[in-house]
Amino acid sequence: MATRKKVLLKVIILGDSSVGKTSLMNQYINKKFTNQYKATIGADFLTKEVMVDDRIVTLQIWDTAGQERFQSLGVAFYRGADCCVLVFDVASPGSFKSLDGWRDEFLIQASPSNPDHFPFVVLGNKADLENRTVSTKRAQQWCQNKNGLPYFETSAKEATNVDQAFITIARNALAQDTDVELYNDFPEQIKLSGSTENRSSGSDNCAC
Amino acid sequence: MTQMEDQEKQLEIALASVQKQGVHMKMCLDKNKLMEALKHASAMLAELRTSLLSPKSYYELFMKVTNELCYLDLYLVEEFERGRKVDDLYQIIQYAGNIVPRLYLLITVGLVYIKTNTNLKRDLLKDLVEMCRGVQHPLRGLFLRHYLLQCSKNVLPDIPDNEENEHPEGTVRDSIDFILMNFAEMNKLWVRMQHQGHSREKERREKEREELKILVGTNLVRLSHLDSITLDKYRKVVLPGILEQIVSCRDAIAQEYLMECIIQVFPDEFHLYTLNIFLKSCCELQPSVNVKTIVILMINRLTVFTFQNSNASEVKLFEVLTEQIANIIQSRDLPLEDTVSLQAAMVGLALKCYPENIDYVDKSLQTISDTFSRRKIEKINHKNPVSRELMALMKLPIDNYNDLLLVMKLKHFPEIIEYFDYTGRKTIAIYLLQNAVQYRTRIPSVEQAETVLTMVSPLVKDQQDQPFGEEDPEDFAEEQSLLGRFVHHMKAEEPDLQFKILMAEREHFSLGGNKRICYTLPPLVFQAYQLALIYSGKRNQDELWEKKCRKIFQFCHQTILELTKAELAELPLRLFLQGALTISQINFKNYETVAYEFYSQAFTLYEEEISESKCQLAAIVLLIGTFEKINCFDEENAEPVRTQCALAASKLLKKPDQCRAVAISSHLFWSAQNNLGQPIQDGKRVMDCLKKCVRITKQCMEISVQVQLFVELLNYYVYFYERGNNNVSIDILNQLIGQIKKEITGLAPNEETEQITKHFENTIAHLQNRIESVDNEDSIYKALEGLTL
Repeated sequence: MATRKKVLLKVIILGDSSVGKTSLMNQYINKKFTNQYKATIGADFLTKEVMVDDRIVTLQIWDTAGQERFQSLGVAFYRGADCCVLVFDVASPGSFKSLDGWRDEFLIQASPSNPDHFPFVVLGNKADLENRTVSTKRAQQWCQNKNGLPYFETSAKEATNVDQAFITIARNALAQDTDVELYNDFPEQIKLSGSTENRSSGSDNCAC
Repeated sequence: MTQMEDQEKQLEIALASVQKQGVHMKMCLDKNKLMEALKHASAMLAELRTSLLSPKSYYELFMKVTNELCYLDLYLVEEFERGRKVDDLYQIIQYAGNIVPRLYLLITVGLVYIKTNTNLKRDLLKDLVEMCRGVQHPLRGLFLRHYLLQCSKNVLPDIPDNEENEHPEGTVRDSIDFILMNFAEMNKLWVRMQHQGHSREKERREKEREELKILVGTNLVRLSHLDSITLDKYRKVVLPGILEQIVSCRDAIAQEYLMECIIQVFPDEFHLYTLNIFLKSCCELQPSVNVKTIVILMINRLTVFTFQNSNASEVKLFEVLTEQIANIIQSRDLPLEDTVSLQAAMVGLALKCYPENIDYVDKSLQTISDTFSRRKIEKINHKNPVSRELMALMKLPIDNYNDLLLVMKLKHFPEIIEYFDYTGRKTIAIYLLQNAVQYRTRIPSVEQAETVLTMVSPLVKDQQDQPFGEEDPEDFAEEQSLLGRFVHHMKAEEPDLQFKILMAEREHFSLGGNKRICYTLPPLVFQAYQLALIYSGKRNQDELWEKKCRKIFQFCHQTILELTKAELAELPLRLFLQGALTISQINFKNYETVAYEFYSQAFTLYEEEISESKCQLAAIVLLIGTFEKINCFDEENAEPVRTQCALAASKLLKKPDQCRAVAISSHLFWSAQNNLGQPIQDGKRVMDCLKKCVRITKQCMEISVQVQLFVELLNYYVYFYERGNNNVSIDILNQLIGQIKKEITGLAPNEETEQITKHFENTIAHLQNRIESVDNEDSIYKALEGLTL
């Protein structure tokens, strides 16, 4: 069977609240930026088609809430991610320190098959700010210690490095994507114990 | 099987089914068998009809299903772009067996349809949001509508509607209607969960609702992302629409969450100009809603925003909030601690955004004071939550101004302190003083000093409501030391005023009792001594300076006597000596008499009150050292004191102590000066002292102690020899050196001996050094050559 033409890649953006996750996604997809702070609730995605090395891929970019209390339903959307983007604010040392936590949390919850080589991309956002407190060197050092993760300093406000970062994200996600093979290898006939009909008890009296 | 395991099992089965159907669906899509693919999609979606899953598990299943639906969506978009007719599909799907799968498919196909035929966007969106009413099961309905919201995100019209021309694709107004309708329906489903099932499962239901809340809130997020919603539109359409739904649902959980949601997801500019509408709605919420938290969240957001955006100042934020909060407090019987924390948020706002306007802070304090008196509050126990909130509030201006004088400008600050119990008042007192000491705030007037000392009264004196029992002595010492340090901060520019401050302080401190005055009075005395020196420096400008100095020393004398009454000895002794020393530096009329009085007081304390031998030694050394520095006495007064000192030294209990003290007293007969400023240099009296020391040393039983003292005495002899006391002969030195050499070899080798030997060797080395570097003309050192080293 031929490899399917279209590839859907799932990208998760994580990081502390107000580091600019939504702004980065908005800049990348809608080429828009606003200084207004609007908190994100739960998780939400936007899609964008991009060319990666002659292939058209659809990026499904998941913007997430940085505040834990806005994830009351859990983080099921981590599952099946092909790439995880870790964002911090170069003017907020706290958000940089949180990267370890976000990375660990992702690996635990998403449980990718090869955690040591799962593609993360690190973005130091708000690089346009003058009062930065996390040095490039320190951030690069951290990425180096994590198997050499790609690191970009971005500005969602000035659209600096945003496209470049997402191309790398898409490329690394594509390299990770195993969905195609998995589905091709899937045997035709599988009978699971208990069919849908048998479990109709799961549905209550409601007809919907 | 536990409930958790059961959930996992159910979810696993459902996920496996979705996986299977999903794979089949994709394979059919690859083979272009759309009808077959839709059948599998429908079967896959049927899993979402389950009632066995908790919200979290259902969410996981939903994620898996919608992820699979993405492939269908991608396929359909491609197909339709190639020109495939959609009408038939829309019809076919209507025949899917159950409504849940049918609506999911309708939404999927409908959205593809919208993407390819934008002219139908408006009608189709309306159609879809209406059709979803078909699912009234809360959990399924909420997720179905969540899916609708997710899918429609990219197609919601975001064009301003104020233009004349028609927009067949719809305008932002259509998007607002669409989302508000979806929001209202989702909220109803969510609220209805509360009233379904048995009452004993209320707790579980509330937990489930708590988990599901973000689905409802996402509608508001979506609204906030529509760029064409202007402030005007937000104020006139969006916010009233949301608030109407929130208020009318009469569900506390929904109200509390959604009000917070509004604050979080919409920009601060909007909040600033819609504050009245928002806060008015707060009055209408259910009684059990925690309105305080909502309002504080809003105040804090606007505080940061106003601070960062100077243009925000056109709104009279503080006034508007004050009025609305008053309304809220009036309309809802808020607990006292909540009204306090609301005011704390207001104080935070005032401090950050209107720092020059102290009245704002005072106004909040007054509101609290009024509230307390209206509710007939007298004292608040420190364990009471009101006390905790009020304490946090009181610390705000202290921390923000870092200037005690500014804090004191708050008229209502002291009266609020009075509402705290002893522990609370003491905490504030410590906090105030720590701040003043850290930021070196100077209190420049009597009135201000009085005010501060009243505010920190729990540190100054015992309180009526003080709990019975001993305080932790370490804590007490620390608190009192803090107060002691603060004494140095009460200082006027003008010396006369400064004296008045000191008198006022003493009045307060005298009430502190014996346990406190040993901390508070000494710094006061030192301040007074400093003031006397200041007057002395102004002797040419202030003709009354002598009188004033005399008054100051009278003040000090009294103050120190208070300490002796508290059965203290060493402390007043030192203070008297320090006083005598200061007086001798200031040559004012009759100063000799005053200095003598101070010195004799010290001596009397030594003789009558100090009994421990170690303390006696320390005290006599101080008495001798001080007297050596005082040169205001005429011989008639001085001679008896010198003799007294030497005598007292020789009367110490332990021989080594006697020896050392007498040796020190030798300086009184040499370097000490008479009232003409000439050194005494009575070589014979010096020798008498040192000889006495030698005699005492010989009476010591322990050889090592003897040797040690001899080495020390050798140093005295050498010192006086070098100073030109010709009563010291080379013979005496040789005798001593010989004596030491004889004894030192017999000492047991230990650390002490090592030290003694070292001291001796250094002394010898010093002498050798003198001999070698001697200038032939220098007769004193020449004679040293006769030493047998």
